[in-house]
Order: sequence, then structure tokens, then C-alpha cells
Amino acid sequence: MTYTISPLPHVKSNESVKRVMWGTIAALLPITIAAIYLFGLPALTIILVTVIVAVVTEIVIYKAASQPITIGDGNAVLIGLLLALIMPPSVPIWVPIIGAAFAIAVPKYIFGGTGTLVFHPALVGFAFLLAAWPTLMGTGSTPNLGGFSDLFLETGAGRLVEASPALVLLGGAFVLYKKYVDRRVAFSATILLLLLMPIVGMGSQLPYVLTGGYFLGLIFLAADPVTTPATKRGRLVYGIMLAGLILIQLYFNTYFAGMCFAVLMMNVFSPLIDKNTIPKPIGGK
Amino acid sequence: MKIVTIKTPDQVIIPLQQHDGAVCDSLVSVGDIVSVGQLIGDGEFRIHSSVSGEVTAVSELPHPTGKDVLSVVIKTHDGEKSEIEPVELSTGKIRRIIREAGIVEPNGQPTLRTKGDINTIVVNGTNTWDLSSSEALMLDHPSKIVYGLKALMETVGAKKAFIIIELGSEALHVMRTETIPDSNIKVIATPRYYPPGTENTLAKKFAKKKVPRGSTPEDRGVIVSSIAAMKAIYDALCDGEPMIKKVVTVAGAVGSPRDVLVDIGAPIGHVIKECGGCSGTPVKIIVNGAIPGAAQYSDEVPVIKTTTGILVQTESNIEREPPAPCINCAWCVDECPIGLMPHLLYGYADSAQFDKCAELYIGDCVECGMCAYVCPSKLPLVQIIRYGKHGVAEMEASE
Ligand code: SF4
Ligand code: SF4
Repeated sequence: MTYTISPLPHVKSNESVKRVMWGTIAALLPITIAAIYLFGLPALTIILVTVIVAVVTEIVIYKAASQPITIGDGNAVLIGLLLALIMPPSVPIWVPIIGAAFAIAVPKYIFGGTGTLVFHPALVGFAFLLAAWPTLMGTGSTPNLGGFSDLFLETGAGRLVEASPALVLLGGAFVLYKKYVDRRVAFSATILLLLLMPIVGMGSQLPYVLTGGYFLGLIFLAADPVTTPATKRGRLVYGIMLAGLILIQLYFNTYFAGMCFAVLMMNVFSPLIDKNTIPKPIGGK
Repeated sequence: MKIVTIKTPDQVIIPLQQHDGAVCDSLVSVGDIVSVGQLIGDGEFRIHSSVSGEVTAVSELPHPTGKDVLSVVIKTHDGEKSEIEPVELSTGKIRRIIREAGIVEPNGQPTLRTKGDINTIVVNGTNTWDLSSSEALMLDHPSKIVYGLKALMETVGAKKAFIIIELGSEALHVMRTETIPDSNIKVIATPRYYPPGTENTLAKKFAKKKVPRGSTPEDRGVIVSSIAAMKAIYDALCDGEPMIKKVVTVAGAVGSPRDVLVDIGAPIGHVIKECGGCSGTPVKIIVNGAIPGAAQYSDEVPVIKTTTGILVQTESNIEREPPAPCINCAWCVDECPIGLMPHLLYGYADSAQFDKCAELYIGDCVECGMCAYVCPSKLPLVQIIRYGKHGVAEMEASE
């Protein structure tokens, strides 16, 4: 009788890339449904079309490049869904179509595919659309946390994701618990931002930050592990710097766009932070 | 009793290397009649016969670490084992007795490495994954374990000791009750903690002594030991029994998974048979734990002093998912007990950039397997890191 030999370990956790992606998508379902409830048909159309375009673009590009098609891992669906959620409901449908195709083709494909990419594809798609068609990407209203009920249904929501801060937080709690997004980044950035705003005299703007868009940005976009540093210290540094950058951006930009640009800028620093925070092994030098 | 004593096999294979270090010299040759407890190997450690019988071979045979090691094969007389005759051990000097009884920690190290001052003893009583032998020993022999610990504390002059047990383990209550009269022995509950084998992390976490890289806990006045060693010290002191038996957890696809007391040298196939045999077709047999353990070529390899568990896996237990690219999730970084960057080591080793591997302290990796266990991309991290270590060694040799 001979037996199979293989290197350790002989059991593996049941988490997989697939579960991470689809789990994150599942976490976004409550807010997706709330957006459709609040905005009706336009929201449903934007979400469906954006996701489908993202998936089709990925299939076409990877086929053309004769690379294995990895649609099943859910990454393209997730990128499409995130992009759709940060659209205003009034946007003409061709805008997110271009955005989704761009997000998959440039930041995801050209920058090396899942795992090695530098910038978050959904954010790059958003920034591209904002630069090209600023008026179409603008929102009809700016949400702010006026009362308790706004937490659950924000009637002033300007973007799909802003429909319900509470439901974004609910999904966020799930992905944080499962470690599908990085806890250090999400917590350090959020806590610091909320602490600093009153200190630097921006306390009155806090209600604009306690919205679905910000929670999505801080938890699902900024803390996406692919684009954050890998070292433990680096992730804290990243979150702290991000909070600072958002504060600066708030002076120059609208609320949501400011946060997105801050995250994209931080994406650039990520490798640099990693390089400078390599830990010493236990016991030090 | 949790621990079941199993039948002595017809033949035992006792390797002359059951520790980290050089192979011992054989004191017997083919045809010799040996009795249980008789010294058959000497060197850095002492090795005793676990049965009475006739030496039928002294040759290189498969060892659970995967290599062939000089071993003494003894055919048990009439398949029966005579009573253990207390071995003559010098009295008084516990330090000597521990050596003479051939006590080896589960990680292959001696319990006492230095003569330096020792302040604290940390006894690792955690169970990991499929291994429960520490818990079984504590439940069955709490007083013997405390006896062994006290003897060791007295010998080295340690002022305090910690017994580390997982939260939720039955042993927690048993050991707490047992140590009530001893204010200097503290039972500490910890969340599931892995890997147990890294003494330096245990010393840091529980004795609050940071052990510099390249040194051992003893340098900081700490001994990190095991429940098995405490029981072995008791056996040696009170029963005159050297280390010739081991409590081993048999788990996985076997008829009755349990903790068994096994004669050192018993082939693992014999142990599995005594636990009801394999259920289903065994595909993999793993010694010493599902995560850090070693898969075995054959079920002829023996149980040795460092063996803690035997795990049988069938086809359905085996992960065959193909690896996907690293997604930089850093789960491996969070899990690494040494504080390394496993995904970077993987990347650099995979692309043969060994200088980068060395810069990232690849040599410090203890091959605990946690990084590969958690990796959602199912990357063979340990395999590639091992390759990287070889690469670094070759690079350094050619410099
Ligand atoms: S096997 Fe992985 S987790 Fe364990 S010490 Fe090595 S790099 Fe770290
Ligand atoms: S756990 Fe796996 S996928 Fe995640 S960073 Fe480590 S090697 Fe990459």
C-alpha cells in the first residue's frame, strides 16, 4: 500500500477567492435592493446593465488575449455592481456602459488582473466618467444625515448607494467580520476621519459623511485588500493617510468625488508603504 | 480514562534518532535479547527498548520525517510484553534523570537545554486541530503532570509556571482544581492558539519575555515545555520508566478515533489497526497534525518520541482545487506566527529571486503551514518557501 505524499498543510480553510468575491457581492445585496426600492426602474436598469457589460467586457478581452476566463470568480460582477452603485439614478445608461467597459479593460486588464492591480477598477471607472462627463455624473441632491430615519432610508440620496447608510453598514459589518476587506484600513480611516473633522473645524459637515457613499467608500472600496498594503503596520498607515487626504479633498471637491480621489491617490502609495513597513520577524534584530 | 492502551505489536522499529540532532550509537546487534526499558542507543539522547524480545535487524529504515534512519528492529517475545522493570536511574539529580530517561519534547528538543538561571516554565497544554493528546493526558493524569512540573521547577529553581490550555477544554477545570494549592502554578486559558511548536512565540506571549532571533527561551530564563514531558518526568522519577511509550491521537478515517498509549517503535499501521482500522480507502496518512504534519509513504514508519498524532485521510478530505493568483489579501501575513510576509516570499521564491527571499528573512519560517491553510487562492506557499530556502542556501554557499 502506498499513500499520497504532498507538502503540508493537509487541510485548507474553506475560504476561496470565489467565496470572497461572491460573499462581498452578497453583502451588497441589501443596499442594492434598497436602491431599487427608492429609485425604481432606472436603478434596476443601471445595475443590471453595468454588471452585464462588465462581465461581457471581461469575457471578450480575456478571450481575445487567449487567457483563461475567470468570470466564475465573481470579480467582474463585483466591479460592475460597485460601479453601478455609485452612479446617480439620472445618468444616461450609456455612461455606466462605457464606465464598466473601461473599468475592466484598463485598470483591471492592463494593470495585470485580479491581485496585481494598482487602482481599484470601480473607482478608476468612476473617475474616468466624472472627468469626461461631469454634468451627467452630477447628482440631483446631496444626502446628509438629518434625522434618525435617514440612516435607514435616505430620501435625499443622490447616488444609488446612498439610499440607506444602515444597509451599507450591515453589509460592511459582514465583510469586515469575514475579513473580505481589511479591518485595519476601514477602522483606522473611518474613526480618524470622524474624530478629525470636528477638530479641524469641519464638524458641521459630518452629516454629509455619515452617508451610504462614504461607508461604501471607506469599507468596500478603500479597504479592498488588493489595493491596500499587506504589512500590518502599513495598513494602519494607509488608513491614517487616507483620512488625512479625504479631509484635504473635502476642501476642493464635492463630498463623494473627494473621497474617491483620496482613495485613488492612496492606491498609488500602497506599494511604497509596503516597502517601508516590512516587519522584523518575531524576536527582532 | 480517556487514553486507551493498545496491544504491543509483534515487532517494533526503534529509530536511533528521535530528536533534533545526531543519530545515536546502537548498543545492540542482531541476535541480542533485550528487555523492556533496556538502553539500546546512546549519544545526545538515550534510547530504550519498549519491548522485550530479540533484535532482528539494525539498519536504515523509513522514519516519519521522510528519510531513512538507522533503526533497531526488535521481535517481541511471544507477542507478549513483560512487566517493566524499573530502570536504574541515579537518584537525587533530576537533571540527570531527565537525560537518562531519554525525554524528548514534541519538537525534538531536550526539556532542559541550559544550566543557566530559569525563572519561568511555560507548559503548552493546547490541542491543535486533530491532536488531543495533551488534553487526554491532563484529564487522565492531572496529579502526575503537576508532580512532574513541580519537580522540574524545583530542579531549575523556577519561581513560577504557567500551564496553557485552550478555552472550552475540559482540562481547564481539572488542572485548575489540581493546582489550587500551588500559588506559583497558574493555569491560563487561551483562545485556540496555533502553532504550538514555536517556543519563542509562547515565551513572548505567556512569560512576557521577548526572545531575540537566534536564541532560545532559556536565554531569557524561560523553559517552554509540554504536557507529555511533564508526564514523562513523573514516569521516570516515580516509576523508573524511561521514555518508551507515547500518547498519540489517532484521528480521521479510522474505526474509532481516540487517544492511545503506544509503545515507541510501533508501526503506525499497527496503531491504526488497533483503532478499528481505516474506514474507507486511505489515501493519505499524516503524522503530527493536519496542518504542520508530514504525509507518509508507508504505514510501516514507527511511532517515535516526537509523535503526537496519526491522521488518516480519504479521497474526500483532500483538497485538489487548482491554485489561483495571489490577491494580496494579506491573510497569510495576519496568520504568520513569525511575522513574515509569506505572499512576498512566495512571489520571490517562485521567480527565483533568492536575494529578495533572504532580505525578507525566509530562513525564519518555521513551516507551520498557517499561511497555506488560510490562503483563499490555495497557493502552495510552504512548498515554494521551502524551495526558496534551498535557493538561499545555495546562493550563500556559492558566495
Ligand atoms: S509556514 Fe507560513 S505562516 Fe508558518 S512561519 Fe512559514 S511563512 Fe509563516
Ligand atoms: S493569503 Fe494567499 S492570496 Fe492572500 S496574500 Fe497571502 S498568498 Fe496572497
